[in-house]
Amino acid sequence: MTALPDFRRSRWASLTALVTTSVLLTACGSSGDGPDTGSGSGSGSGQAKSGGTLTFTVGSDVGCVDPQQVGSNDTIYSVRQIVDSLTDQDPETGKIVPWLAKSWDINAAATSFTFRLRSGVTFSDGSELTAQVVKDNFDAVPKLGALGTLAQGYLSGVENTTVVDPLTVKVTFKEPNAQFLQATSTHTLGIESSASVHRTPQQKCSDGVTGSGPFVLDQYVQNQSITLAKRTGYDWGSSLWSKKGDAYLDKLVFKVVPEAGVRAGGLQSGQVDAISSVGKANEAALKGGQVTLQHRANPGVVFGLGFNHARPVLKDTKVRQAILSAIDRRQIADTVFPTGTQPATSVLAHTTPDYTNLAADLAFDAARAKSLLDSAGWRTGGDGIRAKDGKRLSLTITWFPNAATNQPALELVQQQLKAVGFDVALKQSQVSQFSTTLQAGDFDVVWGNVTRSDPDILRNSFSTRLANFYRLPSSSLDTALSAQAATTDPAKRGQLVSEAQKLLVRNAYYAPVVELQTQLGLSKKVHNLDFDSGSRIRLHDTWIG
Amino acid sequence: MSQSLVDDPGKAALGLARPVEAGSAPEPGRRADARRVLRFLLRRPGLLLSAGVLVLVVLASFWPGLFTSQDPLKGVPSQNFRGPSGSHWFGTDELGRDVFSRVVHGAHLSLQATLIAVLVAFVLGGLLGVVAGFVGRWVDDVLMRFVDVLLSIPALFLSLALVTALGYGTVKVAVAVGIASVAGFARVARAEVLRVRLAVFVEASRSCGARWYSVLGRHVLPNAAGPVIVLATLDFGSSILAVSALSFLGYGAPPPAPEWGTLISDGRNYLANAWWLTALPGLAIAATVLATNRIARALDGEWSRQR
Amino acid sequence: MRRYVVKRVAQAVGVLWAAYTVSFLVLDYLPGDPVTAMAGAGMDSGQVDPAQLAALRHEYGFDKPVLVQYTEYLGRAVRGDFGDTVSTGRPVTSVLIDALPQTLLLTGAALLLAVLLGGGLAVVATYTSQRWLRQLLLSQPPLGVSVPTFWVGLLLVEAFSFRLHWFPAFGNDGLRGLVLPALTLAVPTGAQIAQVLAKSLLTALDQAYTETARAKGAGRWRVHLRHALRNASLPALTVVGLLVGQLIAGSVVVETVFSRDGLGRVTAAAVTAQDIPLVQGVVVFGALIFVATNLVVDLLYPLLDPRIVVASDRRASFA
Repeated sequence: MTALPDFRRSRWASLTALVTTSVLLTACGSSGDGPDTGSGSGSGSGQAKSGGTLTFTVGSDVGCVDPQQVGSNDTIYSVRQIVDSLTDQDPETGKIVPWLAKSWDINAAATSFTFRLRSGVTFSDGSELTAQVVKDNFDAVPKLGALGTLAQGYLSGVENTTVVDPLTVKVTFKEPNAQFLQATSTHTLGIESSASVHRTPQQKCSDGVTGSGPFVLDQYVQNQSITLAKRTGYDWGSSLWSKKGDAYLDKLVFKVVPEAGVRAGGLQSGQVDAISSVGKANEAALKGGQVTLQHRANPGVVFGLGFNHARPVLKDTKVRQAILSAIDRRQIADTVFPTGTQPATSVLAHTTPDYTNLAADLAFDAARAKSLLDSAGWRTGGDGIRAKDGKRLSLTITWFPNAATNQPALELVQQQLKAVGFDVALKQSQVSQFSTTLQAGDFDVVWGNVTRSDPDILRNSFSTRLANFYRLPSSSLDTALSAQAATTDPAKRGQLVSEAQKLLVRNAYYAPVVELQTQLGLSKKVHNLDFDSGSRIRLHDTWIG
Repeated sequence: MSQSLVDDPGKAALGLARPVEAGSAPEPGRRADARRVLRFLLRRPGLLLSAGVLVLVVLASFWPGLFTSQDPLKGVPSQNFRGPSGSHWFGTDELGRDVFSRVVHGAHLSLQATLIAVLVAFVLGGLLGVVAGFVGRWVDDVLMRFVDVLLSIPALFLSLALVTALGYGTVKVAVAVGIASVAGFARVARAEVLRVRLAVFVEASRSCGARWYSVLGRHVLPNAAGPVIVLATLDFGSSILAVSALSFLGYGAPPPAPEWGTLISDGRNYLANAWWLTALPGLAIAATVLATNRIARALDGEWSRQR
Repeated sequence: MRRYVVKRVAQAVGVLWAAYTVSFLVLDYLPGDPVTAMAGAGMDSGQVDPAQLAALRHEYGFDKPVLVQYTEYLGRAVRGDFGDTVSTGRPVTSVLIDALPQTLLLTGAALLLAVLLGGGLAVVATYTSQRWLRQLLLSQPPLGVSVPTFWVGLLLVEAFSFRLHWFPAFGNDGLRGLVLPALTLAVPTGAQIAQVLAKSLLTALDQAYTETARAKGAGRWRVHLRHALRNASLPALTVVGLLVGQLIAGSVVVETVFSRDGLGRVTAAAVTAQDIPLVQGVVVFGALIFVATNLVVDLLYPLLDPRIVVASDRRASFA
């Protein structure tokens, strides 16, 4: 669903999370098909009972079952259940709460984090959770390679991880890194057994890992299915979960069915219990009947066009600004995406802390787009496509089939850009190729988003001092992004984040299009299937009846 | 004996493939031919219908404007998922585009790919077969063993291997499908060449000292062409199916190009709420293939029998 | 007889070797640089790290001369080693073997349905004296070979899964989940069997021996089944042998339509990911199944009709 959602955690999540969720709740409450966040789905009737299998169909497989290396929602849904994290984040308040860590201390400069671990936690291979295991996990992160950029981002600038005593571990950073606490709540820094950590990233990807989570990987067939079984004797659930001990469900089966229509039909006919990524097209068919639609807006960088600034055509600010003006965001949101989806009004989704409304800068204005292109020297040719010095105004948008909404959304973008003189080709690539494509810079324009409940995601995505996948030139944007990360004063930081958003939009470094709203379809017999703070799912408390 | 047998289907094929020409070139004997074609057709309403369907499809692929004035690539997003109606015969798709218009415009891409596929198979296969049959000896052995091997790899697998090597796109898919049916053409062409080569009149012209190329060009090729052309019409139908299967699997033109297979594949996303997106383009494929197969059957058997 | 068997087996091995060679030429030689294709996996090449490319090239042995590569690969392939898949690093052979049972189940069920439906249609159509029924039945096979399989599958899903809820729309769940995919796959195959069998039945019914049987007072049904069908089933058997390759290949489309796990879906994914070793494994595997089935058919032949022992190359009658 999201391209690489949750692409690196940002700083200050703990500080800003409160803001996040209050906005979230108002956003979700408006549309009213079933409960939205937190406290459970389905009709609350009946008594919770153990046992049964949950069959969940997703649209894609990222080709890897290691939580530390997976960034695509469709796969996160399943692999999240295998591992526990040091902390958990309350999706309603944004507060960081205990999970594997009973408590923690952060020094005033936010450079040192000490976690005191819960005792008696075991991995499914029987080994025990100790400070050394956590150290092994964090020490291995830099060796994760291409798929580990998420985890590497969270731990960037780490000086060392030390074992204070068998159940106390301390992580020290060279610079302030307050986002790290929230990062420890993510699946990306989920704790795996020492044996797993010592395997190669490829082995972890294809064979899976041993975690301490409420479910254990039973079978993985690439592009086909992921099967999980209940971990018996589980007794160290997150403090957010209501059930103590084992999970309710015996078995989880995640099947890959690429076509949204087939998924919807399977849910309707009762063949499956839950489906991911329900777009607008299938809402009508699913409403009524034995199905609940459950949705939650994702914070972070909105769906949009990421430009490769190394491409000559895209170096021209006017061309990029023309693209921003030529896109009719409302039309795209209303035609393709789930009901209630908001057109983008900034680079950040409106549920992200320190979001600044820049709707005026992102208004649809084809005339402005045309005059910008005219002034940049791109003249309309006979076939309606513009050209300059004999070169056509052609762009290729690379996209990944990780959500049913991607293709129709991009076909609309293609139409809208064609109307002002762009010749846009759409190129579908493999979901598993997402990171490779970005790293290699092998694209003109890439379609994606990043789920993140902290504005620091802007730094991760657009700072030239980090991965800089978009090949941006260094500019005052870097200054703003770095400054917000080093600021402990929330008000000051808000100003800097706002400035960064303005710079991004006004220089058209990125073309925001639409916000992501995760929408799942659930059979009415599924209860308590909840969203976590990143709009992914928690299945420990889920039961069928 | 062989002469008349070989001659018959060839002429029949050519005559039927260019019915207009047969009428417009008023040689004395041709008029009777035309009348016979007409009588032949009238007795077979199914065949007549097939010819009609094929004419419509060919017209659509060259002049889509004759059938629809709506833009296949641009629709009214607010009017998406409208069922079939008077204004949208095949309904509208997820972006409000007219599906009928997309099918009509898609005919161009799909038929183009099919033609390329048949042409590749015809030219390469024919060449292999003619060389093998005409040269004979070890060349024949080597070429025909190669053809055996091509036959032992299921056609779709061979196409998929070629697509993997060549990449995606309408033309590449077409070439991949064409190469996968080279073997069939090579066999038929070789068999025909062998038969004609041994025929009395060829032997005669050889013994009169004619050069090999003139024997080949004047006698062997024209007389061997018939069955190969019949095979080409038969292959046309299966090529449409193979091309659309590959574009259904996603190896054809990228969106928004309305290739027939792609239309159905895209429609799968909306199977639960808009049946017409898959059902109606599929009907177009089925009707076209049925029509070409019916015509091929007529060329192959009924026509020559009737004479 | 022994010579016949030895000759057939030797031919089968020869064809397999050649099929491997063709797949090598197409997949390893044709792309120019398969490593760039693999590293880029469907993207424009040129931007990939050259050092990484060189390493990959070395790992797969593409830095050696073509002939050396070919012999090395062939040597490994003979031992059943087709290398590792690019996308997961698992051995190609084990991926294929894991996927095979589901596909064999599907194609087996489809073949059974095709023989029953196609054969039944041909027998009834040639037996009936009702002209309209014969016309109606004989018009079905041409229809069956003209409809795209994926379309048939989708229509069946629409009708029997989404509307009637009789069968699951996707997945490998038990016998009920097998019905729609097997039926879909059986449509073109059954149609071809029906065409061939009906034709040869009609021919057989015209032959002298059926006349004789009839003159001896055998009942019509008995003549039809015992005498005509027995003789007519030989060409049909040949066709069945040839159709097995088509069925295996058809599983690519059908398994995609029904999101069924199996060889076909593995193939589709491999092509999409440009996973060259895996695609090559599939091609050779497909040829292996095809060759093996036809070997069995060849060896069954003399048992059914001893006259055919010294038959010339059977495949020559195809196409």
